[in-house]
Amino acid sequence: MDQVALTALLQTLAQGLLTGGLYALIGTGLSLIFGVMQVINFAHGDFLAIGMFITLALFRTFHLDPYFSLLVAAPFGFALGFVIQRLVLARLGDRLREGSMLATLGLGLIISNTLLLTFGAQPQSINVPYATSTFQLGGVQISIPLLIAGLGTAVAIGGLNLLLYRTELGRAIRATAQNPLGAELQGVKTGSIQAIVFGLGVAFAAIAGVLLMPLLYAFPTVGENYTTKAFIVTVLGGLGNLPGAIVGGLVLGMIESLGAFYISNNYRDAYGLIAFLLVLLLRPEGLFGRTVKRV
Amino acid sequence: MRQTLTLSLALSLSALSAAQAQGPIKIGAITSITGRFAEFGKMQLAGFKVGLDEVNRRGGVLGRRVELVIEDNASDVNKGLAAAERLVNAGVPLVLNEYSSSLVKAQAQYLARQKVPALVFSSSGDDITKPGSDYIFRLNQPATEYARAILNIFRDHKFKTMAIIAGTGAFEKSVADAAQDIAKEYGITVVEDQRYDKGLTDFRPVLNRIKAKNPDGILMVSYAEDSVTLMRQAREVGVKPRLFAGGAAGFALPEFVKDAGSAAENVVTATAWIPQLRYPGTQKLNVELKKALGGQDPSYHAAQAYAAVLVAAEAIRRAGSTDREKVKAALNTLNMQTAFGPIQFKDFNGFRNQNPLTMIAQQVQNGAFVPVYPKSVVPRPIKFER
Repeated sequence: MDQVALTALLQTLAQGLLTGGLYALIGTGLSLIFGVMQVINFAHGDFLAIGMFITLALFRTFHLDPYFSLLVAAPFGFALGFVIQRLVLARLGDRLREGSMLATLGLGLIISNTLLLTFGAQPQSINVPYATSTFQLGGVQISIPLLIAGLGTAVAIGGLNLLLYRTELGRAIRATAQNPLGAELQGVKTGSIQAIVFGLGVAFAAIAGVLLMPLLYAFPTVGENYTTKAFIVTVLGGLGNLPGAIVGGLVLGMIESLGAFYISNNYRDAYGLIAFLLVLLLRPEGLFGRTVKRV
Repeated sequence: MRQTLTLSLALSLSALSAAQAQGPIKIGAITSITGRFAEFGKMQLAGFKVGLDEVNRRGGVLGRRVELVIEDNASDVNKGLAAAERLVNAGVPLVLNEYSSSLVKAQAQYLARQKVPALVFSSSGDDITKPGSDYIFRLNQPATEYARAILNIFRDHKFKTMAIIAGTGAFEKSVADAAQDIAKEYGITVVEDQRYDKGLTDFRPVLNRIKAKNPDGILMVSYAEDSVTLMRQAREVGVKPRLFAGGAAGFALPEFVKDAGSAAENVVTATAWIPQLRYPGTQKLNVELKKALGGQDPSYHAAQAYAAVLVAAEAIRRAGSTDREKVKAALNTLNMQTAFGPIQFKDFNGFRNQNPLTMIAQQVQNGAFVPVYPKSVVPRPIKFER
């Protein structure tokens, strides 16, 4: 392999890894919600769109640097998720598992159409001076905003891990995930835990939206694409499996980049979907899921 | 003084009442007021306004005021067809038919089946007028010309290799396919031809691939949102051809320069019209369009929409009525000069009712478009990336 081809491969790998990091961030939120609440969140991509539009609006009105919008978008996402769980999902009672699919699908439609009414359907982007800045590493060029997105992902996921494994709240969340009834009997307020978890999941999607904004453009239905990606990521890693979601995201990013680089860009989305199908057929519990024995 | 004022007032009033006697002539128009092509729709609405003002200032047509019945296709094929149907049922004499080739082709074919003249003025997919129909007329350049303007520059500067990145929509495909053919004709090797579906946001792997092949030129064909993303990622990946070229559409919008910022520098794009052209009235048109756009610089789409209104009015005047068949016949014999360019519908090279016009190329230099091709626009020297 000559120098040029090697550099191109390394560059593709690096970019695939960083893009995959964002997929991981999106997938983690979805997986967390499913793991704790058994809710399949079809509005996940739309929550990401909310993050993008918050960034856009703050940039347009106050010329706020997109990364500072995190301070608004993350708490807003958490609050929104918390309220939605309380007002919508908590009321579904025993039908939560099936009912939540329709409920979140409906929420997604409400969100994307509200964005449509407020911002219009045309794609909108923001122009920050560092949008195209890069740094060189042995001939490989890496985009600074993409790197920041990758680092942001690492920090967010690291923070989530600390929360889950080093705090009392995290213990309660894990307990609720393992056995809601048992947790309730031990004095864990599983209702509040579920609201917090949904809030966290939505906040994660919103953070991903903010991190994407300096790189891409926003439009009201931008979420659809990312909902699909989030599902592929979580299925690759195993539904409800957080480390699995991270690896799933990275794997998806790499598969897409390498496929587009070596085979053809025309079938880009197909590579992820083929991996998705293969995993469903051969290892339905996910690449890293524990095999569930059914009685 | 006062008498002349009263007299002229009385005259204009009587002209006005004569014009109102039969009510206004209502011409149909479809464009994308909402949806992903809304930026282009905004330009076209401004062009309509300036064109209508000019026609009505001159006393309208056949002694009647001219109005447009504007329908929104919401950047969607099915909504576009519904819009065309509404106009057919409203009994308009002809329809100004836009935007985006994927939509316009369907709309135009529907209008042709209903025997309503369709005047296409911005969409350039070759297959709209090739083979076309007796009822479909196009005053702007077809996609082949977009590709030719860019490939002529490549040829003139002895480019040996080029790469193509294009969307899979009707317009993008049309320009990219034409570029393939012209490259063969000019002896330029196409080292990479990558097409992408709507919604793709990560062009890095493709750009890496192109970077490894190091072509002299890169031709990109895409709409508004992708043109910015493409150039940002091209800079980020570090691909460095001698020249980046865009096939009009997204690359020719003022937003492209604004949103892509420094990433847009030195990008050459084909375009259908620029204010520096030396047709009579071009300067004045630019000023009026800019006013209609609230101070924003117009793109070629606005000038085309302006020309479409003038052509429609002229066709009705020649036809002497709003009868669809007579208007169609008048369009066939029409030969006029506009600030957009000369307009005459001809059959040539498999095209039918197509206005033969050459394209222009412009380059982003120091954050603004300057003309670089052809000789008739007094071009500035092209700046190369390497």
